Amino acid sequence: MIAKTFLKETKELLREGRVRIAVIIVLMLLGVAVWISTRHYQNVNAQYAMAKTAERVIWDNQGEKNPHSAAHYGTYAFKPKYPLALLDQGVDKFAGTSIFLEAHNRNEAQFSAAADQTALARFGDLTPDFILLFILPLLIILLGYNSFTKEREMGTLTLLQSQGISSWKLLLGKWTAVFLPIFLITTALFLIAGLLLGNLKDFGVFNWSSLVMMYLVYIGYYIIFINIVLLISSKTKKSGISLVISLCVWIIACLAAPKAASNIAENKHPYPSRQEFAANILKDKKQGLDGHNPWSKEAKLLEQKVLQEYGVDSLHQLPFNFDGYRMQKSEEHEAEVYLKHYNYLKDQYTQQAKVYRGLAAISPYLPTRFLSMAIANTDYATHWDFADAAEDYRVATQKFLNDNFAMNSQYGDWAYQADASFWKELPAFEYDPPELKETLKSNGSNLMVMGVWLLGSFGLLLFTTKNI
Amino acid sequence: MIITDNLTKKYGEHTALDHLNLNVNAGEIYCLLGANGAGKTTTINLLLGFIEPTSGSAFINQLNVKDDAKATKRFLAYIPENLMLYPGLTAVENLDYFSGIAGKKFGNNQLKTFLEEAGLQADAFGNRISTFSKGMRQKVGIAIALAKEAKVLLLDEPTSGLDPKASNEFGLLLQQLRSKGVATLMATHDLFRAKEVGSHIGIMKDGQLKQQFVAEDISLSELEQAYLNTMDYKELAS
Repeated sequence: MIAKTFLKETKELLREGRVRIAVIIVLMLLGVAVWISTRHYQNVNAQYAMAKTAERVIWDNQGEKNPHSAAHYGTYAFKPKYPLALLDQGVDKFAGTSIFLEAHNRNEAQFSAAADQTALARFGDLTPDFILLFILPLLIILLGYNSFTKEREMGTLTLLQSQGISSWKLLLGKWTAVFLPIFLITTALFLIAGLLLGNLKDFGVFNWSSLVMMYLVYIGYYIIFINIVLLISSKTKKSGISLVISLCVWIIACLAAPKAASNIAENKHPYPSRQEFAANILKDKKQGLDGHNPWSKEAKLLEQKVLQEYGVDSLHQLPFNFDGYRMQKSEEHEAEVYLKHYNYLKDQYTQQAKVYRGLAAISPYLPTRFLSMAIANTDYATHWDFADAAEDYRVATQKFLNDNFAMNSQYGDWAYQADASFWKELPAFEYDPPELKETLKSNGSNLMVMGVWLLGSFGLLLFTTKNI
Repeated sequence: MIITDNLTKKYGEHTALDHLNLNVNAGEIYCLLGANGAGKTTTINLLLGFIEPTSGSAFINQLNVKDDAKATKRFLAYIPENLMLYPGLTAVENLDYFSGIAGKKFGNNQLKTFLEEAGLQADAFGNRISTFSKGMRQKVGIAIALAKEAKVLLLDEPTSGLDPKASNEFGLLLQQLRSKGVATLMATHDLFRAKEVGSHIGIMKDGQLKQQFVAEDISLSELEQAYLNTMDYKELAS
């Protein structure tokens, strides 16, 4: 009975012009989106490889130079593009691609793709995640809004009932007929993405398990939508009403809820303004040691402490260059200040993420979006992780340079220059994003919310269609 | 095959069906005559299990409809006034689906045989139902009953709106089913058709079965007279 209903529904759908046209449009959009994304991915990766190599060549070939001058000269940490960004670009477009690493300052990531575009970029890009998150649910509505209402409107439900049809078998047949085309489109997309990524020169982080996990998340998302649409269709009398209610659910779940969640999260746990943030950091930095000011109170206190520790009367008697030592201590103080303020930002972000997760109860879009970005390593958490790794590298670089300055020169010897080969001793910046297992663990609540949505929508659908 | 025992249905104060006692045996066609609101469709809906009786019982093939609603449906076929099938599917596909739901599995040729037996032209088998007339759809309905090997056929105004030729063809089909031992209950306004195809005729009014006849024992004019008298159409009756 299930197979018969499935075949009947599929035949009806295939013979309907609107469904054929809609499926063709979705497939064309997906094709274009994947093509655009693949080209974008290849371009960005080529740029990344070029910039990374060029920057390292510049660093390695500084020639003889004072280490602290090199610290101010700085270098860049480049954020790689991860393979699954081909499917979900997440916040990458807005988060910046490189961080300038220099002495005394922790800089924000800069050169975001959005900043390079005109105001028209506000319209958004045609990306696979846009199709997956917004368009496919619309296709589900188109396929399923009249699944039950058409039986009522045509009068076939009476005949079905007189034939002794079982409600749940009818439901399952109809459910499968809506699910199959969505399943095929999604599977084809992920398969193509997998094959493309498997053959692209990526940076060694692509793995099929992440792709499969992302695929399962989207399949779960579509199952929830199918359940909701069929539930609406089974409870309404007219196809028109069912369509309007389904579209309202789509608007609320996919458009309104994320924006409302963003507003609520920002209101409850606001980020400080950039100006306020910078001013707070400056204030805290001023309250500590400044490596460039040997006459400050903090510098004098450090001087006394070190002289006492080494049992000498003069900085010249120390076995290292106190200027380099002071620079390093100043870096450590500044790094602490940055850590404190960035941890505050991170706390705010964590609180905001909690609000989002709480609001995920009203929209299956939210946990899906978070999981998709997290698996693709294009979420804000990964960006934070990258920024933290870059900061760790910056702090280590400053120590590497200050130690060289301190250990290879005398106090007051600002003319000291490190050997031209010294720069190559600094290990290059490498960043590995969190592994899938780690990502899933940190997104446990999103997985749980998805699970509740899945079970809840299935349960409700089965319960309400018990007596069709 | 079809038995109702003091079958009653009330909607609040209104009694739609009042202690109906019916017995339709295998190979009989019982025609229920009556004006709109007489209780004919209510009787059929109660036999289908679509609504529950207020009191009394209905039996299909000795199974209580209320207690064994699903089991009783194995034995019956139903053709409403406007038999609606899936317009996007062909006659064969519709028959395949509806017989499949009833748990029957047939090959394409067998399905076509049923449609042929139901009197549908062979060149229409592969056409979509959206191109069918009402009479053609009713034939597909009969084919569904044939495929299901239904022992009971419930018809609600099946000839309403059919042209005389189609109506006559439908009557002949019912006679064929009668010869196969199918018990048929047909609600209709059509006295002529009731007299033509029915083995028994009942006249209902205000939810009550007022009169019953064996069709052979009564002429069409006597039936008409009885009907008009029952309906209190004195002027017309005289």
